[in-house]
Amino acid sequence: MTDMITFPDVVNWAVPLFIAAILAELLWIVTKGRGGRYETRDALTSLIMGAGNVASGILLGFVAYGFFMLLWEITPIDLGTSIATIALCFVLDDLRYYWVHRFGHRIRWVWASHVNHHSSQHYNLTTALRQTWTGTFTFMMVVRAPLILLGFHPAMVLFVGGLNLIYQFWIHTEAIGRMPRWFEAVMNTPSHHRVHHGRNPRYLDCNYAGVFIIWDKMFGTFVPELDEEKPDYGLVRNLGTFNPIRVAFHEWVGIFRDATQPGLTWRERLNYCIMPPGWSHDGSRETSSAIKARHVRDHPEHASTPGLPPLPDHTP
Amino acid sequence: MPLSILLPMVVLGIAAIAVLLHLLGLSRRATLPDVAAARAAWLREFPTDAPIHVTLCDNRSAALIATETGRGVVWPMGADTTARYLTGARLTATSSGLRLDLPDYTAPCIHIALDSDEAAAWQDTLKETA
Repeated sequence: MTDMITFPDVVNWAVPLFIAAILAELLWIVTKGRGGRYETRDALTSLIMGAGNVASGILLGFVAYGFFMLLWEITPIDLGTSIATIALCFVLDDLRYYWVHRFGHRIRWVWASHVNHHSSQHYNLTTALRQTWTGTFTFMMVVRAPLILLGFHPAMVLFVGGLNLIYQFWIHTEAIGRMPRWFEAVMNTPSHHRVHHGRNPRYLDCNYAGVFIIWDKMFGTFVPELDEEKPDYGLVRNLGTFNPIRVAFHEWVGIFRDATQPGLTWRERLNYCIMPPGWSHDGSRETSSAIKARHVRDHPEHASTPGLPPLPDHTP
Repeated sequence: MPLSILLPMVVLGIAAIAVLLHLLGLSRRATLPDVAAARAAWLREFPTDAPIHVTLCDNRSAALIATETGRGVVWPMGADTTARYLTGARLTATSSGLRLDLPDYTAPCIHIALDSDEAAAWQDTLKETA
């Protein structure tokens, strides 16, 4: 089994492109007076989070890579490195991304890592770089295991994962309205991803796609951007700090405090780690489902519209 | 990419963007133009707990909120706002107003710019809360 395959570290090579694109978006917003907003401390925090993500990859990347190489040693399949194999790997890895991302919103342990990406109240190209420092601790590398076992080399899997991340950079903008209809139908776009970053009840927990929006349409999590409801960006409860350390670790601290409070059963302690964000043992907090249900109770005219449930059935 | 190139590029890139944003005037903090804006900012964070009283500070930078649940504060986070209840808050008078220390990892410390009369009034009001 060949294990001396190398692929370029595309994310690092894309850094100059990221910087140039941010400057171009900023220039566009400043000169045109539309297409998004920038604020110094918010952008600085996002950029530091991006740098920290690269640093954590350098420091902790060996954990995932070691795991992948272990799997590569035991799999009898080697699909090689043809263009067709790389393309197939890219598509399957995007499916992997969809599920990891969905877990990232529905399992608090994984959300603790992903939450920082949603912690900006802005939506611009720096928001794309507001990435996790703690991804290794979610153990979501196991979701990539099937790809390795199917015969895709670990270096290739990480390469296509890097391409996926680079694709997602440009969709973090308000400077682009909608792409051509055929493109919006198949690909993840700024419009689809703005919805994903919205904290409006209807926009919570949807559009998990990385590159291909078809996964959301297949698995029932697609919500279109409505012209009459602009996304309100940020968290359900917005942070009161720009400190990158607190941005990176706040949900882990929250899990620790919740799970170690006195008087809970072990099941309740576990649930604070694995249930959706907003779950609480006494029902004193709201999950996204509860927020949507409350919104529909307060705005019955929105019931059964995109992203929102029907009105509760009160018939006996 | 070699670390000897990546590291300086990242550091200089971040610094350049931050300086440019500041020079473009994009470091301005949000203000709350009126009581309605303060109320809306509170409801954005706590939609089920409507304010029954709003005390907007003179410079429009923050507001003290009273609800049926308790007292809270709305303050700017850069160009936007956020809000927190003041349960367990520790108040310290500063030369520019008040410093509120909260038992909240996501909002540990809030500096509110108030003149001395306002600061004293806020302290009196919050004595009931802390």
